[in-house]
Amino acid sequence: MGRDRRLPPEPPLTTTAERSIVTLERVWEARPGVLGWLTTVDHKRIGLLYFWTTLVFFALGGTEALLMRTQLATADEHVISPGGFNELLTMHGVTMIFFFIIPMTTGAFGNYLIPLMIGARDMAFPRLNALSYWLFLGSGLFMYSSVLVHQAPNAGWFDYVPLALKRYDGGLNVDFYALGLILNGVASTVGSINIVTTIFKLRAPGMSWNRMPLFCFAMLAAALSLIFALPALTMDCVFLELQRKAGFDFFSPPGGDPLLWQHLFWIFGHPEVYIIVLPAFGIATSIIPTFARRRMLAFPLVAMAELLVAFIGFGVWAHHMFATGISTTTLAFFAAASTAVVVPSTIQVFAWLFTVNLGTPLFRTPLLFIGGFIVFFVLGGLTGIMFAAIPFDQAATDTYFVVAHFHFIIFGAAVFPLFGGIYYWFPKVTGRLYDEGLGKMSFFVVFAGTLLTFFPMHVVGLLGMTRRVYTYDAGLGWDAYNLLETIGGFILAAGILLILANLIVSWRRNMPAGRDPFNGGTLEWTIPSPPPHYNFAVVPTVTSAYPNWDAADRAHDIEKLHHGESVLADGHQTPTSTVNDAVAGPIAEMPAESPWPIVVGIAVTAAFFMLLTTHVLVASAFVAIALLAVLGWHAEERPQGFTTERLARPNGWWGMALFVAAEATLFGTLIGSYVYLRFRNVQWPAPEIAKPEVLVPVLLTLLLVVSSVPMQLAWRAGGAGRVKAAWRFVAGAFVLQLGYLAWQVHDWVDAIHAAPPSRSTYSSIVTTMLGFGHAHVLLGLLIDAWLLVQLARRFTPYRLVGLQAAAFYWWAVSAISVAVLLTQESAHL
Amino acid sequence: MTNSLRRALSLVCAGALVVLAAGCGGNQNTVAPASPQEHSISDLFWVMLGGATIGFALVVALLWLGYARRARPGLPRAVGERGATRLVVGLGIALPAALLIALFVWSDVFVITSTAAPSRSSTSLSVNVIGHDWWWEVRYPGTPVVTANEIHIPVRTRVYLSASTADVIHSFWIPELNRKIDMIPGRTGHIVLDADRPGVFRGQCSEFCGLQHAHMAVSVVAESQRSFRRWLAANAAPARSGNAAAFLASGCGDCHQIRGTAARGDVGPDLTHLELRRTLAALTLANTPANLDRWIRHPQAVKPGSRMPDVRLADARWAAIDAYLRSLR
Repeated sequence: MGRDRRLPPEPPLTTTAERSIVTLERVWEARPGVLGWLTTVDHKRIGLLYFWTTLVFFALGGTEALLMRTQLATADEHVISPGGFNELLTMHGVTMIFFFIIPMTTGAFGNYLIPLMIGARDMAFPRLNALSYWLFLGSGLFMYSSVLVHQAPNAGWFDYVPLALKRYDGGLNVDFYALGLILNGVASTVGSINIVTTIFKLRAPGMSWNRMPLFCFAMLAAALSLIFALPALTMDCVFLELQRKAGFDFFSPPGGDPLLWQHLFWIFGHPEVYIIVLPAFGIATSIIPTFARRRMLAFPLVAMAELLVAFIGFGVWAHHMFATGISTTTLAFFAAASTAVVVPSTIQVFAWLFTVNLGTPLFRTPLLFIGGFIVFFVLGGLTGIMFAAIPFDQAATDTYFVVAHFHFIIFGAAVFPLFGGIYYWFPKVTGRLYDEGLGKMSFFVVFAGTLLTFFPMHVVGLLGMTRRVYTYDAGLGWDAYNLLETIGGFILAAGILLILANLIVSWRRNMPAGRDPFNGGTLEWTIPSPPPHYNFAVVPTVTSAYPNWDAADRAHDIEKLHHGESVLADGHQTPTSTVNDAVAGPIAEMPAESPWPIVVGIAVTAAFFMLLTTHVLVASAFVAIALLAVLGWHAEERPQGFTTERLARPNGWWGMALFVAAEATLFGTLIGSYVYLRFRNVQWPAPEIAKPEVLVPVLLTLLLVVSSVPMQLAWRAGGAGRVKAAWRFVAGAFVLQLGYLAWQVHDWVDAIHAAPPSRSTYSSIVTTMLGFGHAHVLLGLLIDAWLLVQLARRFTPYRLVGLQAAAFYWWAVSAISVAVLLTQESAHL
Repeated sequence: MTNSLRRALSLVCAGALVVLAAGCGGNQNTVAPASPQEHSISDLFWVMLGGATIGFALVVALLWLGYARRARPGLPRAVGERGATRLVVGLGIALPAALLIALFVWSDVFVITSTAAPSRSSTSLSVNVIGHDWWWEVRYPGTPVVTANEIHIPVRTRVYLSASTADVIHSFWIPELNRKIDMIPGRTGHIVLDADRPGVFRGQCSEFCGLQHAHMAVSVVAESQRSFRRWLAANAAPARSGNAAAFLASGCGDCHQIRGTAARGDVGPDLTHLELRRTLAALTLANTPANLDRWIRHPQAVKPGSRMPDVRLADARWAAIDAYLRSLR
């Protein structure tokens, strides 16, 4: 791979092939200029937008870190005020987690690479992809606008109550935090639904589960975890804002409980750290086979381990609460789960190590970063195991020992693969080679900086230095370590700047990389660098997990191109396939550039600014604008050519199913919070509050369940072509549902007047739970109304998917309403 | 070369950790135990560190092996694909599972019994500590004793410590004596303090509680039974008589209680026996006349954000207040 490396010659094209490529280029041509970027739905452009934006947040988070380290370099410093320091420590955590690492791994790497690795031309929902980016950008601007008004979040990245309640933190700081995270969570959920549906449905025919790249397994695990973990954080922030702005009472004794915040936070927070590290595993398992020059050892074990880590990770959350005084039996359960979650990680570590040892590894820069990753992951993992020993945790939690632990994991184990991945895929994205010498140098500086910054924290933590302190006394023996850490921090920053410098230098040097500079095994190495807009000229033939190492299949692809087969150039087309065995399914029509995602993104962000300042009516107006924009979105008709042969559930159904999964988890959180609060209280509800009615709620819920039947029948009728009948069924369901909602809301408002939420925890949780239920029925009514309008105009296969998704939605809402009803009526027990 | 360097670095660091943590630093050192409870935590740590070092060395060795033998495919002794998969299962599943189960049983079934909340009947003295922003209220139930930021206990006596809070979540932690216990509104936590030798043990609030979380330290003084009883009796008495006029006229009694006078405030610490304490402002300043004057004149300069406001008074008034406070032995 030296300077005078010759690129292998591209095979000559026949006229059929040339014609296909010209058509593809014409069909997929991007809109020019800034407008093209603002309206893009191309996963590669969106990936790049995420990449640059998250780099800016990385720089901000890094600056915050260096400012803190400067303040802590010596004892009793006066560089930063206590209030300023608290904002720095909060924003550092929030920025790095929510605005850097998650969007970088899922939004930048995930979006750019997943379609390329599975042989698709885009993600399953390109416009939704763009929306996830604009919402993410909006959440970042929202959160950082707090700095402009000197009210940045300041209660720590986990924002414990009561410190975060209005009484102790009266400004807008915490409101920025809570609302910003809700918006950020919506962006992440939208992105995750896209990732899961893409991996399920858009794999090239023949790419069954056992042939899917390990990177995609990792992204799948991360995306599924995000969908199921975010609702807990969202609900926590909703409770917090309701308490801060409307006087609800979730967290204050005697009715409420501060630990409710902690439980919900960590039910999100622990899976979050696996979400952070899983894509890093994915990058490592992409780089290792390429540079070890052999397949990954124990591929099925590694794939399952990636999924298992995410799954078990949902059961360990209270290990963040070992010092709170909850019962020893409860603690032991969580400690057991925390030790269990180690095993899928040790499987992976040894699989990686033995793959390298069984091959003939080339220690180029990407593999060096993976080597560093393994060292730091094991180091951080070992201290993590120490924390599963409850008595030790109870001594070392909230000290610099735990700061060391999680920085070795987050920085060492999540960011090192990112750096390795940036080097590894730089040639693919830019078409140019990176400078190997500068690359190796950047690795050593970053490695040394990481070690020097974070290792002394173990010692100073054991010597008693607690977290989140803006200064410390001399004479406690902490001074030298802190100084070392600060020096290390600056060395680390220098190393990161070296990486950036390398990328710039390499860009300018412009050494052509060709399709496949490293002989990687996965599909992205079969296409030109940078990839053409349409990614693949033909649907690739896949018969193994390392398609680029199957010469026969690649030759077959060239033959297909020469005969004009599987080109799919009649529109923006990509093949879909079944979930398990990737049997070829219908061709999906993809949208081209669209203005609606950015419009919705701006409107929703504006709504959040209005909620921040409690202008609820204006916020509702912006939500209405967003909904109108969504209507415009759905009105974008896609050209025909959609085959009606139904082999498997369409993409739209999967999107709705995953959305329902997220919403169901939201309600699970509400119901779980109800049960938790119920058992924290002896009297429930308080004696002056009336117990809930039985007859009317039961009958109304029955009515709602019944209304799902005409929705189901509408879908059946539509599928049989009886459009008028379908319309009538939807109309009938609409009337039932509208009646249900009107009556329920009336009773709900009455209940709020009779028992104001500000006066009892019971009323706070019940009002919120029912309110969310009613909001989901309202959303369903809007969906129904839209269907009624569209069914009256034109019936297309797209509308049929809409009917299917809507029917599914109403069954889900019915089931959720039954669960809510049972929870509500449990007050009689 | 690079991997050997890496390996050497990590071994040096592990060694440094052992040497540096065991010996030096102030009296807030988790691995310099002064109680049976902290001994068991410390022992647990050293064993885990030993195991961790071995595991880490194994991983680094495998990495080094990969680098050193990079030109030859395969592991030494012609371990092939099958053998390597068996090693993955053995080293990745079987061995960790065995070690982890052993660790779990030892730490979370056995060691935890010494650090878990004690039963009151197994102790012979009770202390209540209430966390405030940013100081510690200390009470001895069954006596009138109320003080702040300094806890005295007799050596080799199991003390039942109850931890609660008056405002936000704090966490009480004396590293050389026991684990930390969070102070959560609506709950009371319990740990045992059992110093096995006399000394002054320092601790700090271990849950982020706002602006001056960094200046919320506490000390536990373990002394002989006789010294302790003397101290307790001295603190139980009402305040020595003195001229409290300036103190009361300046409104100080609205926040601070001095037992036996008209000062009844409960916002700030009880000052009845202020001069029996070694420090001021939760160990931020040593308790000297100069520091006392500085603390009450310019609290916002000493501890910005503390609940004691900067008040402007005539110098003579300050002098009178100083003199009175210094008399509160």
